[in-house]
Amino acid sequence: MSRTVDPKLLEILVCPLTKSALRYDPDRQELVSERARLAYPIRDGIPIMLVDEARPLDEGEVEGEVGAPPDLAGGRNPGVDTGGRP
Amino acid sequence: MPAPASASAAQSPVQVFDRRLLRHRRDRAAAGLADYDFLLTEVGERLADRLDDIRRRFPMALDLGCHHGALARCLNGRGGVERLIQTDLSPRMAAAAPSPALAADEEALPFAAGTFDAAFSLLSLHWVNDLPGTLLQLRHALKPDGLLLVAMLGGDTLHELRTALAEAEMDLEGGLSPRVSPFADVRDAGMLLQRAGFALPVVDRETLTVSYADAFRLMRDLRGMAAANAVAERRRGMTRRATLLAAATGYADRFADADGRIPATFEVLYLTAWAPHPEQPRPLRPGSAASRLADALGTEELSAGEKARPG
Repeated sequence: MSRTVDPKLLEILVCPLTKSALRYDPDRQELVSERARLAYPIRDGIPIMLVDEARPLDEGEVEGEVGAPPDLAGGRNPGVDTGGRP
Repeated sequence: MPAPASASAAQSPVQVFDRRLLRHRRDRAAAGLADYDFLLTEVGERLADRLDDIRRRFPMALDLGCHHGALARCLNGRGGVERLIQTDLSPRMAAAAPSPALAADEEALPFAAGTFDAAFSLLSLHWVNDLPGTLLQLRHALKPDGLLLVAMLGGDTLHELRTALAEAEMDLEGGLSPRVSPFADVRDAGMLLQRAGFALPVVDRETLTVSYADAFRLMRDLRGMAAANAVAERRRGMTRRATLLAAATGYADRFADADGRIPATFEVLYLTAWAPHPEQPRPLRPGSAASRLADALGTEELSAGEKARPG
């Protein structure tokens, strides 16, 4: 990791699919979209905001409480339609 | 994980361009682009000139489809830009651009609403399948009264190459396949801006003619710029060598100048528009003027139909 991500950049980024807020995971260097259940990687300080580069979240990783849309409450299967998409 | 993968396809119903191929091409071209960036630099300078003409400052700006940071180098703080966030579909291009840069798909923007004072794009949006969708997302990403300033290739681009390839293909292969990507024209672009909800849209065009030794040099440049054909329905595999040779000969026969060099036309469309704001100027109703134009000009008013006196 020669470059670190610019914290001001993180303030303006949202999930490209759902336009919802992202959670920064500094350990994994990922930007996590709970709503889309995707984690966008940060490589060499460059956020890769591409859906086909994102890592699908495991079931346990989705934090179902604050900010999660109600349609996620019943869906335990991470493979189901994420709803909330444009 | 099928859901998100199919979601991006569902967003843009017509897939003219193979975006995966485009990304691959841009990834591959990233390292060597500096040798082929004359068109980006030329049009980037012209875009920056247009920004100079606007008496406003745009501290927080976006460059969508930044390549290796060509526009950042042209702008270099012009237009009062203090911070230029750059994106490219290709992560390698984004890595080659000066910080801050990120990889993003022009068809699915990752920006919060009302983020930017200005959004620029230099020779990238002609590759977008869903241009109305991209413009709409750009409008949301702009602050009210934010500026959109885009340069993209228009319909006359590479018309010589199109003609030469089509003729060679008809002669030798008895059929046509789309070899040169299709582009929007001025009217399309203006309409799209309006439909995306932008105010005060203006579209104008410029034609740049680049002179080449032969058609192979031109095609090498196009590959170097990652500008080779990315139409999804293109014929797969290599164009037959005989067809390429015939096209190169036909290109020279038809278009070469006295010195044997061939011209390649690049039509550039410049789109200027503003995110709507209640205090923006708008046209008055006809007949609502409070003072006469003739008074302002210090001249005598002549009724319509009368010829002006030669002064």
